[in-house]
Amino acid sequence: MLSILVETMGLLCSKKQHLSEADAEENAQVDNSALAAEIERRIAQETKAEKHIQKLLLLGAGESGKSTIFKQIKLLFQTGFDEAELKSYIPVIHANVYQTIKILHDGSKEFAQNDENSSKYVLSAENKDIGEKLSEIGGRLDHPRLTKELAQDIETLWKDAAIQETYARGNELQVPDCAHYFMENLQRLSDVNYVPTKEDVLYARVRTTGVVEIQFSPVGGNKKSGEVYRLFDVGGQRNERRKWIHLFEGVTAVIFCAAISEYDQMLFEDENKNRMMETKELFDWVLKQQCFEKTSFMLFLNKFDIFEKKVLKVPLNVCEWFKDYQPVSTGKQEIEHAYEFVKKKFEELYFQSTAPDRVDRVFKIYRTTALDQKLVKKTFKLVDETLRRRNLFEAGLL
Amino acid sequence: MSVAELKKRHIAATATVNALREQLKQKRILLLDTDVAGYARSQGRTPVSFGPTDLVCCRTLQGHTGKVYSLDWTSEKNRIVSASQDGRLIVWNSLTSQKTHAIKLPCAWVMTCAFSPNGQSVACGGLDSICSIFNLNSPNDKDGNLTVSRMLSGHKGYVSSCQYVPDEDTHLITSSGDQTCILWDVTTAQRLSVFGGEFPSGHTADVLSVSINGSNSKMFVSGSCDATARLWDTRIASRAVRTFHGHEGDVSTVKFFPDGYRFGTGSDDGTCRLFDMRTGHQLQVYHQQHDGEVPLVTSIAFSISGRLLFVGYSNGDCYVWDTLMAKVVLNLGSLQNSHEGRITCLGLSADGSALCTGSWDRNLKIWAFGGHRKVI
Repeated sequence: MLSILVETMGLLCSKKQHLSEADAEENAQVDNSALAAEIERRIAQETKAEKHIQKLLLLGAGESGKSTIFKQIKLLFQTGFDEAELKSYIPVIHANVYQTIKILHDGSKEFAQNDENSSKYVLSAENKDIGEKLSEIGGRLDHPRLTKELAQDIETLWKDAAIQETYARGNELQVPDCAHYFMENLQRLSDVNYVPTKEDVLYARVRTTGVVEIQFSPVGGNKKSGEVYRLFDVGGQRNERRKWIHLFEGVTAVIFCAAISEYDQMLFEDENKNRMMETKELFDWVLKQQCFEKTSFMLFLNKFDIFEKKVLKVPLNVCEWFKDYQPVSTGKQEIEHAYEFVKKKFEELYFQSTAPDRVDRVFKIYRTTALDQKLVKKTFKLVDETLRRRNLFEAGLL
Repeated sequence: MSVAELKKRHIAATATVNALREQLKQKRILLLDTDVAGYARSQGRTPVSFGPTDLVCCRTLQGHTGKVYSLDWTSEKNRIVSASQDGRLIVWNSLTSQKTHAIKLPCAWVMTCAFSPNGQSVACGGLDSICSIFNLNSPNDKDGNLTVSRMLSGHKGYVSSCQYVPDEDTHLITSSGDQTCILWDVTTAQRLSVFGGEFPSGHTADVLSVSINGSNSKMFVSGSCDATARLWDTRIASRAVRTFHGHEGDVSTVKFFPDGYRFGTGSDDGTCRLFDMRTGHQLQVYHQQHDGEVPLVTSIAFSISGRLLFVGYSNGDCYVWDTLMAKVVLNLGSLQNSHEGRITCLGLSADGSALCTGSWDRNLKIWAFGGHRKVI
């Protein structure tokens, strides 16, 4: 009721303005000057206050780990997630569980139809009904809460040999990286009083829409530094980047996330496109953008934990960009060798895509595993140091 | 049917559609024996004469600390709202150049703004995928900022453009990077209709611009990265009334012609085109040869009679085209006091006597018809 009253009053006031428009404008000349001056003062004040905030832009292909880095920063340098925020992730986590098992179930059917060794992808008879039921649930827009019963069904299906075989070929489907983690924790996730842990939240996969931002100040180390950062994740825009990328001209640095474990996977948006090639093209494109002429680039070679497990089993040369790769040894040495090879490829790409007049732009590469909090903290400290040094350099103090 | 078979049939069907489309295109080319300029010349018409003193920059609006992306005039009084990369909306009095409002937006990445028909509210949208409405008469909060009065959320991509339905303060249409346009009821924040999306006759790429027909507000046209413009009837959301092909790049801007039977488009292919709403024909192409990189068309507006077409380009030029003769009669970019960067937006005041341009150089400029020059 009050709102209607207030709104009507507002309308009445403006009506008055219309009637004695001419008079009001003349009399208001003086008032308007004061108002305009006040506005300009406020703008100047706000601009000054924001000057020392360093803007960082997270870019990268879908599922490269941008949102995970974002969550880590929140956990490390802000107050983290309170219980309400943790609980708000429950529907997301449950949705991830349903989506995962659906992808695996439907995938096993597809393989059973098309593959010569089809029999190993055929579900055992007693699990067929459960499979169909879970596939239907997984396809809905709204999912039911994960009950102990449903969790039991999912676990049974997950343990079916056909599903495990399908999971082994997960790179050909769109099986999310959180699959294994959630499947191994079904009992806990379906508990009636389940409150997600920080780790659960880090694994939770939701397609971000729009843009999210977070402001933080890395304390510790040199507390006097007073650096304030504002981090933006624009990951959710699945559209033409060229239409909005220029909004970010003037950011201090671009943090580009590349999931190096994806060299044998296809895009969600286009199953014929290799993810690593997509990342390569995107990185190349971003480097060439005029709006980033003077912007520092921090390249995060992410998902190293998955990379080190995969690289010994799946050779790098399945990806066209890495086709000249030659393994030299085995075990840990080989993993390091493979990593250095990939790193070198990105370095070459950087220098190829950087015009001669931009070579003094800062460019640093970091090996990351977004899920590893200690590593992200360490990495970020290095990023912070680099940017502070750059600031001093630009201010002529170095 | 297996997935592989479905994929094959899909490819075949797409090929058939493309072949039919090509046939239609050829048929249209056969039917188009002349264009507007050709016909006008045959009738002995001559270009409008325009000298450098006929349109002068009479105001420069300074205050934004970032690139200007969008502007809109009120429908009666001489006020302008502008949106900038600095995360602000500023409302200006165009006669005095004074600012009457400065709104610090919750999401700085704004791409579009619009005045409501009664001039009391402004709408804006951007990367947050939300269209936010601010009531200019609301009291400021303790930081001196206006709070959002409505948030229209539902788009799954950036909001590229928004326009209130003429004379309807409660309805507004947005276009988005999610390939759809939406008609909103502002009071309830509900989506009344979604144009495109799952339905086959929608845009197949980001929608960049909308323009509502001033003579028949049930019709609007949208321009998209799929190089087409589409005409929609707000009463029929399931399919576009017609799709207009011809451009060879993103259609970044669309504007209805004053009489409501035609509309203009501007594109990344460097050209503007005039389309006939009813027949679907491309009536005219507005294109000037360039050496080197072709500047992109970023924004267009028709003069009050439609005889002039104002076009803003990515290289800072702003051509005044004679729409009838398809000749450039003036380049505002070459005049004194012109912008020093890309022109991103432009618009004509309600009475057609002034043009406002916005640019990446952070300024807005107002151009008025000078001296004895009649407003056309």
